[in-house]
Amino acid sequence: MGQEFILLVSATIFCIGAFGFMVRKNPLIMFMSVELMLNSVNFLLIGYSHILKSLDGQVFALMIMAVAAAEVVVGLAIILTIFRTRHDLNVDHLDSLKG
Amino acid sequence: MLIDLGWFSFDLFKVTYDGVVLAIGGTAVLAALGVVLCSSPIYSALYLIGHMICLALLFLMYGAEFIAAVQLIVYAGAVMILFLFIIALLGGKKESQSFDFHKFMAFSFIGTVLAELALSTRVGPTQPITGIFDEKMIANVGSAKAIGLELFSKHLIPFELASILLLVAGVGIICLAKFAYKPVRRRSN
Repeated sequence: MGQEFILLVSATIFCIGAFGFMVRKNPLIMFMSVELMLNSVNFLLIGYSHILKSLDGQVFALMIMAVAAAEVVVGLAIILTIFRTRHDLNVDHLDSLKG
Repeated sequence: MLIDLGWFSFDLFKVTYDGVVLAIGGTAVLAALGVVLCSSPIYSALYLIGHMICLALLFLMYGAEFIAAVQLIVYAGAVMILFLFIIALLGGKKESQSFDFHKFMAFSFIGTVLAELALSTRVGPTQPITGIFDEKMIANVGSAKAIGLELFSKHLIPFELASILLLVAGVGIICLAKFAYKPVRRRSN
């Protein structure tokens, strides 16, 4: 499959992830949507590294995986800490900073 | 393998390869839709595992065996187990789904962005910089070795920085989990 297939699949998954991040209210599902977006970028990098016969894309995908792992761990710890003090899993209810 | 039917000839290997890649890509997109549209977090997590596995298969089809293995171990293994533990700890409550104005706005915005991205795939041929690592060369050296050589020579500093990032994240979550749990006390006077 050519370049258009990679671009289209990657753009579709990225947009689905962005939609989920905007629409869902559960912070866990919002984090999963962020994972979807990161994965779509990974797929784009791997596909282009195949087309362009270069390994830079694969190395960069590895870096993105490291960043995503760190981000998920810290994010889940923050969600857990918030849940321990509030017992509520809805991001719309976190409006204490609102004037 | 070239199959010739007289008026029409095609390469059986290439057609099969394209069909498999298309099927796995479609499954990945459907699983991504399942992640976003399911109302319960546990089903979303299961769909996300399916999506990761589909992407690992696609990486295999594009000749990135090492990255496919890392994807399976790190994402479908470690990260998703972490998600499942957190869901088990917090309780996966169902979220009521209703179609309101906010969702309509998000949907139209995303539709516009997707249409723009789809249009941008139609740009004319550019002159890309190609490297030397074609399939034969990678098969000669081995995928993991080729990536290791690249990683430890050309990209050594980003690699070390990534290790520092992971260390900082580890220390950070220990601080979050150990010291942050103190009930907020208001001053009485």
